[in-house]
Amino acid sequence: MSGPVNQEKSRQAGLVRIPSGIPGLDEMVEGGFPFPSVILLSGTAGTGKTTFALKFLCRGAENGEQGLYITTLSEPTQWMLRFASQFDFMKQDYFGDEIVYMDLGAQLREMDPPKLLEVIEEKIAEVLPQRIVIDPVTVIGSMLKGDYRTFLFDMANRLKNWNATTLVTGEVNPGELYPPEISYAVDGIVLLMLSEEGGSRRKYLEVLKMRGTNHLTGKQSIDITRSEGIVVLKARF
Amino acid sequence: MNEKDVRLMNSIMSGLGDTTQGGAVLLDVKSTQFVRVSLVLLRGLSEELQMPGIFISVDRPYQYMVHLLRMHQINPAKLTFIDVISRFSGDRKEGNANVGFVDGPFHVNSLPEALRQWSATIDNGVVNLKNCRFVLIDNLTSLLTYNNYSHVELFLRDFVEMLKSNANVLAPLMIDQERSPLLYETAKSLCTKEIVMKEEMRQVPTAASGKPYLKVADFRYVQGGIQG
Repeated sequence: MSGPVNQEKSRQAGLVRIPSGIPGLDEMVEGGFPFPSVILLSGTAGTGKTTFALKFLCRGAENGEQGLYITTLSEPTQWMLRFASQFDFMKQDYFGDEIVYMDLGAQLREMDPPKLLEVIEEKIAEVLPQRIVIDPVTVIGSMLKGDYRTFLFDMANRLKNWNATTLVTGEVNPGELYPPEISYAVDGIVLLMLSEEGGSRRKYLEVLKMRGTNHLTGKQSIDITRSEGIVVLKARF
Repeated sequence: MNEKDVRLMNSIMSGLGDTTQGGAVLLDVKSTQFVRVSLVLLRGLSEELQMPGIFISVDRPYQYMVHLLRMHQINPAKLTFIDVISRFSGDRKEGNANVGFVDGPFHVNSLPEALRQWSATIDNGVVNLKNCRFVLIDNLTSLLTYNNYSHVELFLRDFVEMLKSNANVLAPLMIDQERSPLLYETAKSLCTKEIVMKEEMRQVPTAASGKPYLKVADFRYVQGGIQG
């Protein structure tokens, strides 16, 4: 072992990491998601993307971090809360204060990409979040007036400079891993998957990419529980 | 800026005390809160006290800070930005402010000399330490990404020394003690005040929550240095 090299290395700034809120996941990614960064959370319907995203925000709120939840679905806050409140980790008091909810649905149909980016940035500058969720980003592609790829590229670049860890969820069709339009612009990709095995569907999580991180590879079994949301089962046994 | 931020600003300003005294002040801030604390510091120093100052932007292009200031009704006109990262990052976001550019975040130890030279140039119009009352760096620790530790330490010592020669210039230095203990200790030996605010920030409740307010900041001050 070369002493001076190691000594100098230990004096360098490591990446700041924030806990994901998902039991078992932080151990897979050297302690948490890099801060700031943009992480893509991809999966088919029913894999737990929104549950993951809400737990990510609630974990931040517990830690005194400000969260911003941007939905592209035009879903009323109370509708989302109605389902999410079934989880023990969800505290409705967080919403409106530690976690600010923003509905981007209406603007998606009316605005061109630069204007939409401006609206998102204005909200970020107003709320000053350390954690941002855009759920789901893939809806933007089907509604945006203008070039979706350019928008995603610009959005990812801007988000990296706002001093937050952003989780963008992407819905994919069965058999697809992730939406390719955004994968090249993000710092990390986490996959949530369903697999039919022995007549039942099992859930898995896989860290496909995490820049600056020696992450655990391969599919890990997960479960969704009322008390903790998504749990990486391998961490339990 | 919400009530929490205003309370935080008042607490930090109270911790800074007499800002006309100048000198380096160490703030122990959680890494995830650097931007928020920068904002409340700029609100307090530039907007409330109307102090002209320099903001050195290492962590992100200066345009993001300008945007943030405008969103929070803080006029950036009293500020001069020194952007160390824009020409390195190639970001094209627009920003309208008084700004001087440095080629990149490498060789940071040359920055104090650059500031001295700029200030010595008559009518330079961009950066002049003699006209400013404070200097704020957005993220000291991120300098370690581009420079080795000894260069950052040298920069810090030279930077604080330079401020001493401009006696009434205040320099709040934000460092996360938990993440960068070595840099923190070096800075601590150079500062005349220390403001510890991490745990308190974490627990600050909102007015709406109805929980009792906890102390936001705690500081220890010993003339000529820090003890404990």
